[in-house]
Amino acid sequence: MSTQVLRAPPDPYHLGHHPAAPGAPPQATGHGAGGPAPKRIVVGYGFWIFLLSDVIIFASFFAAYSVLFKRTAGGPTAQQLFDLHNTAIQTAFLLTSTFTCGLASIAVGQRSQKWTQIALLCTGLLGAGFLALEVREFAGFVARGAGPSRSAFLSSFFTLVGCHGAHVTAGMLWLGTMMAQFYAKGFRTDIRHRFLCFTLFWHALDIIWVAIFSLVYLVGSLPPEFLP
Amino acid sequence: MSDESHGTLPEYDAGSYVGGDRPPGAAPDVEEHSLRREVGGYITGFALAILLTIASFWVSGTNFIYGPALAVALLVLAVAQMGIHLVFFLHITTDPDNTNNVMALAFGVLIVCLIVFGSIWVMTHMNQNMMPIPMDKLLQMQP
Amino acid sequence: MLGKLTWQAIPFNEPIPLISGFGVYLLVIALVAWVLRKGYGPYLWREWITSVDHKRIGIMYCLLAGVMLLRGFIDVIMLRLQQAMAFNAPGYLPPSHFDQIFSAHGTIMIFFVAMPFVIGLMNYVVPLQLGVRDVAFPTLNSVSLWLNAAGALLVNLSLVVGEFSRTGWLPYPPLSELRYSPGVGVDYYCWAIQISGIGTVMTGVNFVTTILKLRAPGMNYSRMPMFCWTALASNLLIIAAFPILTATIAMLLLDRYLGFHFFTDVSGGNSMMFMNLIWAWGHPEVYILVLPAFGIYSEVVSTFSRKPLFGYRSMIIATMAICIISFMVWLHHFFTMGAGPTVNAVFGIASMIIAVPTGVKIFNWMFTMYGGRVRYSSAMLWVIGFMVSFLIGGLTGVLLAVPVADFQLHNSMFLVAHFHNTIIPGVVFAIFAGYTYWFPKAFGFVLDERLGKWAFWLWFVGFWVAWAPGYVVGLEGMTRRLQHYDDPQWHPWLLLAGVGVLIILAGIVVQIAQLVVSIRTRDKRRDRTGDAWDGRSLEWATASPPPLFNFAILPNVTDQEPYWDIKQEALQAMQLVTPEPEYLPIEMPRHSPTGFVTAFIATVTGFALIWHIWWLAILGLVGAYATFVVFAWRDHTEFVIPAETVARIDRANREARAEYLRELAR
Repeated sequence: MSTQVLRAPPDPYHLGHHPAAPGAPPQATGHGAGGPAPKRIVVGYGFWIFLLSDVIIFASFFAAYSVLFKRTAGGPTAQQLFDLHNTAIQTAFLLTSTFTCGLASIAVGQRSQKWTQIALLCTGLLGAGFLALEVREFAGFVARGAGPSRSAFLSSFFTLVGCHGAHVTAGMLWLGTMMAQFYAKGFRTDIRHRFLCFTLFWHALDIIWVAIFSLVYLVGSLPPEFLP
Repeated sequence: MSDESHGTLPEYDAGSYVGGDRPPGAAPDVEEHSLRREVGGYITGFALAILLTIASFWVSGTNFIYGPALAVALLVLAVAQMGIHLVFFLHITTDPDNTNNVMALAFGVLIVCLIVFGSIWVMTHMNQNMMPIPMDKLLQMQP
Repeated sequence: MLGKLTWQAIPFNEPIPLISGFGVYLLVIALVAWVLRKGYGPYLWREWITSVDHKRIGIMYCLLAGVMLLRGFIDVIMLRLQQAMAFNAPGYLPPSHFDQIFSAHGTIMIFFVAMPFVIGLMNYVVPLQLGVRDVAFPTLNSVSLWLNAAGALLVNLSLVVGEFSRTGWLPYPPLSELRYSPGVGVDYYCWAIQISGIGTVMTGVNFVTTILKLRAPGMNYSRMPMFCWTALASNLLIIAAFPILTATIAMLLLDRYLGFHFFTDVSGGNSMMFMNLIWAWGHPEVYILVLPAFGIYSEVVSTFSRKPLFGYRSMIIATMAICIISFMVWLHHFFTMGAGPTVNAVFGIASMIIAVPTGVKIFNWMFTMYGGRVRYSSAMLWVIGFMVSFLIGGLTGVLLAVPVADFQLHNSMFLVAHFHNTIIPGVVFAIFAGYTYWFPKAFGFVLDERLGKWAFWLWFVGFWVAWAPGYVVGLEGMTRRLQHYDDPQWHPWLLLAGVGVLIILAGIVVQIAQLVVSIRTRDKRRDRTGDAWDGRSLEWATASPPPLFNFAILPNVTDQEPYWDIKQEALQAMQLVTPEPEYLPIEMPRHSPTGFVTAFIATVTGFALIWHIWWLAILGLVGAYATFVVFAWRDHTEFVIPAETVARIDRANREARAEYLRELAR
């Protein structure tokens, strides 16, 4: 840290964003040392971090579910309750909706209002189908006396899967708002940034569903002697 | 496409920011990236995810895999499918532009593992060390 | 129509909360009336309440924390008085009331004093030290502030409408379940925590993004100031840990509201799981508080020793090591709950390991002082008081990390003394050091040094007089939270602890006096140069207080102590280092009522949920969604500061700097 060096940067205050000479490449280095990142990166990364925190909420519910899995208080067990056909259809709906969401992000990249709205509508319909099946499943359980207040196992099941469903519901509200915003205001930069966050959210919900259908429904339906 | 100027410095397209980084979820901005390749990426991811899903449902229904190993097998398949989602739908790669995103993901995975497996470990031991409850008290505890 | 809410909720038959509650209510009404009569309303609304400027938000966080410190401290006086009196006597507080007070004391001090103070200082300082104009998401920042304030408001409301929780600062089941706590107290606690918790997670997201993605050009990771590194670690812990708190309290709320069975003692619930999950949050929480405190100490020590921080890289490694290991030690809070020797041993060893990086930090601070020309200003005194006291608190922590010892000392006063011994010298002294250190930057004048030193000595002596007896009675067998006792051995120590609290009270009075006196004589203690302490990091390159946009031109950073380098070069060349730049117009985010409106809705919804006023709660949720949509529909989110204004403000700063340079040369 010598005090002899007299800094006389060749590019004062432009710092690589505009090249020192015409045609020369920008001089900024990566990893944030080139100055504040562009808004798109900032917004996307911020939402990524938020998703991380959301995943940890799910992890807490997963931990509670794992601990309380066997505490059925003499009531129905997972094996007795779960209908894997229903789960399979729900998985198909949600996975396909993730795919259509990806197509929607391509459409936004192409600035096509028509395909954006179509892809988002498909995503929404598939999401609605997923939710309808889930509500039907929950209502069925409650009607059979296997509601969340029956046992600790059922409380943790309803909370974990219900939390995912609540996130999907919030996502649907967001989806509707995005469709309205694209329609009303076109492909403005901030709306596209918001949509980037929405796609992150929607894909993350499917990732969590992968964990749920595998570890809650499929593992739960295994005969007890196969469980650790 | 015109972007309004934001914040502190003149806005520039992230794609021309050499050595910069990418927001998570955004595809790499390479000029030659055709529409076909983009859609193809999503279709590949979709197909692989379908395969893994079918595999999960299938192994849990048959005895192709040794019974007590099924839970672990399902976990492995689930993790694989999560990886497919991350790579094909969320465009998480190991380029240097993506380092921050991968670090955040790794941190998250670490914390999730600590919470889930830590809780299971701790609570299993706690439950094992609980005093056995006599039958009449056990019956009293039903609602 | 109004759920469970009736006139019975107001404590007409309990004089203390009734009088204090309505006294505060009248005070608030009088204050609001005065503000409105003087015409300050529009100014306050436009410049403070709806501000999205990190500097204003930081100051408001510290104000919130300061006010709540007074409430929390009044709880302390009441508790100590009760324990001093209640030897073979009932004291003056009935048990139900005593329980609410110790619960409120802990809840307020952790969630509404320590957290807001630390977050407020991070808010003010981090963007300035990083050399940027604001945090990543300014409006979200405002939302975080107001949600925290909403939580504080709900806790304070419980004093006059209903009751507060009686279960301690963490609501352990089965006591906190509906069956054993049927009142609204636990609900007040839970909703206040959930609302402020959302705000805190938003802060975590904001600051991680800011520190990783928004830095001045040339500031790579190894050139960031130490306070920013510790802020990064703390905010990573916030996003990792607070969701666990949210989920666990949500599970408790589901048990209470919808009859779920997570933690009940029937139908398969497992109360022990609550302790497991809540401490998986609770342990990282204390590091969330203490890491920025360590960062403040690093800044103050290097400035007042006139030396760069010793062992910068080892400090970074130590900080990130603490960040990761803090997630691996949580079971030490319930060694006695019966996990068995293997589990206890693993967590005990981890708890001892985590003391090592803290030790590294303490050595680094000492080595920074060694060989430096130390100035013993009041800020530096807080640091030294911390080093001496925290060492002992940390050592008692390592002692408690041994499961065998913990079996004797768990939930005794020894434990209570340990955590006060780490939090007060660790976090509270850091807050006061940071407050003294950055006050001139924020307000343009220095605080009175003499009163500051008095305040330090009163706090330091008072703290030890109050808490050394805690260790003694703990070893003599006294447990925590006792409303009365009959062991004559403990009585003199508890009287001494009461005296200690009075000494601390004197310290607080001196601090208030310091503020009043300093404001009155502020013209004599102006900071005209912006560099009140001969600082080393970038915040001292701005005027005091900094302009809205912080830096007219983002600084170019080439080394770890950028402002120090600038000063040395300027002194060598006897002129300002950079020529007058070409000023460009600057875009700044517009102020927004989103934060305030969100918090208003949150408070109403929380209150509705507490009292089971379902229609109002649903209305609140609809209102929340509407707020999002209105915010998202905005067309104009920024405004432009013209280049001439920027030029005028910056030229004034450059002039002051040139004057400062001439003074230094003489």
